[in-house]
Amino acid sequence: MRVSLYVSADTWLHRLDPMTKLLMAATGVTLTFILTRTESAAVLLAIFLAALGTGRVLRQAASVFAGVGIVAATFLIVQGLVHPTNATPLIALGPVVLYTEGLLIGLRLALRLYNILSATLILVLATNPADLTEALVRRGAPARLGYVIMSVLQIIPTMVAQSAAITDAQRSRGMETEGSLWTRAKAFLPLMGPLVTSSLIATEERALALEVRGFGSTVRPTFLRAETRPPHAVPVRILCVLTLALGATGRWVLGW
Amino acid sequence: MAVVEVENLRYRYPRQTTLALDGVSFTAEPGEFVGIVGPNLSGKSTLCHALIGLVPHFYKGAIGGRVVVAGLDVHQTPVAEMSRRVGLVFQNPFTQITGAKLTVYEEVAFGLEYTGAPREEMAPRIEEALRLLGLWELRDRSPFALSGGQMQRLAIASVLAMRPQVLVLDEPTSQLDPAGTREVFDAAATLCRQGITVIMAEHKIELLAEHADRLLVLHQGRLVADGTPRDILTRAASRELPGEPAPAPPVTQAAASLDWRMPGGGFPVTLAEAVAVGRPIVERHSGVDSR
Repeated sequence: MRVSLYVSADTWLHRLDPMTKLLMAATGVTLTFILTRTESAAVLLAIFLAALGTGRVLRQAASVFAGVGIVAATFLIVQGLVHPTNATPLIALGPVVLYTEGLLIGLRLALRLYNILSATLILVLATNPADLTEALVRRGAPARLGYVIMSVLQIIPTMVAQSAAITDAQRSRGMETEGSLWTRAKAFLPLMGPLVTSSLIATEERALALEVRGFGSTVRPTFLRAETRPPHAVPVRILCVLTLALGATGRWVLGW
Repeated sequence: MAVVEVENLRYRYPRQTTLALDGVSFTAEPGEFVGIVGPNLSGKSTLCHALIGLVPHFYKGAIGGRVVVAGLDVHQTPVAEMSRRVGLVFQNPFTQITGAKLTVYEEVAFGLEYTGAPREEMAPRIEEALRLLGLWELRDRSPFALSGGQMQRLAIASVLAMRPQVLVLDEPTSQLDPAGTREVFDAAATLCRQGITVIMAEHKIELLAEHADRLLVLHQGRLVADGTPRDILTRAASRELPGEPAPAPPVTQAAASLDWRMPGGGFPVTLAEAVAVGRPIVERHSGVDSR
């Protein structure tokens, strides 16, 4: 089982350092909020999809897009049905009428939702979480925060395996863990009890193990690997800043 | 000069009325392999934790006496500082994996990173530790993909990379199979040969008898015996130790019941010794060459 969405590959996007990808994601999200028109949102989405496609993570992004499709569809239907500016009927199914104005507003909202998602996926799908965490700690983020992020990603799968072992142990003692909702509800406590208890014990043991590995040290951590930045990171960063400036100018000067 | 000096150590856990350690004193020399034996709740783990300062810094409680390890007064030194000189390996191999690193190689680097070791020193220290523990070929694997014995060796490698003068192992083989157990004991013996002092709390007394230079016997928080494995196990087989805290291995018990003694006194503590002592006796009585 994997918790992280990271997809390993060797593309221009993967080779970028985590901070540049973080800047790309932040730029994308910020532009989504600055450029509120439907056309602007569509252009942004095209750019994000191009980045995801050339980074060979579009397939994984598509499955995430499908997952939030229900939210996007809700935007369209609710706005199409009840937005206060609705005046021009587009589709009528008996008493249910979808209006053009509301549908356009719903479309804009859906586009902006996908823009935020795409910008974030550029970071999440193409960045090893260990690299991102390390990059943040190098820049002064608390080492404990970095540890929490990484350990959650790593330890959750093992906890899932542990809960499966506890389930099997309880089943072997005759407890029913499958069937009706009531049967499952009855099984919940006997399953959660050992899981929580063993997790608490493991947490204390791991805290001790970390302590004796110098985790509580007050010296500034050093890092196994030197930080590298590929040659194309600088142009990408400049492009991000310029795009952000262009977006701000377009919104507040040119009235986009 | 002793690298471990424990003097009249007394310790009580918070909200407890009885002492977990009561007047424990001993020393250990560089390169010495010291085994700690005793029944559950005799104070073995508490003593191990006291050698790096988890007792009292982490557990709190009331403490008396003096513990000096690698020249540092443990009661006055933070655990993080102690961890540069003393390594501690726990019972459960799984919970010693930090969970923050993706490969075995990076896992060993964890302690070095957090104690601020220079980067140029890391690679040789990691490689040395992994090779010594036989994990070099597994360096790119996820730590969670290792077997129990491999995980425990990884835990040892992780503290070893920090170049401790003293390595403390708290029942490191309690969750391992015989092969994993043997791996850990062999690794500990190798470290001793390199001058590292190994202090190991363990129930597998037959393996301690084979590897340790000395055994400390704890009973209800008190150090009731301190001597060579032969001395301790001969006394155990003769039921001279209070509370039978350290049952002698079967080979020693058998030799004691047959009164097979080593030339220098005491009973054999390993199978090889028992064979060496017993073969002439058997041959003498049977009139045949048993080889």
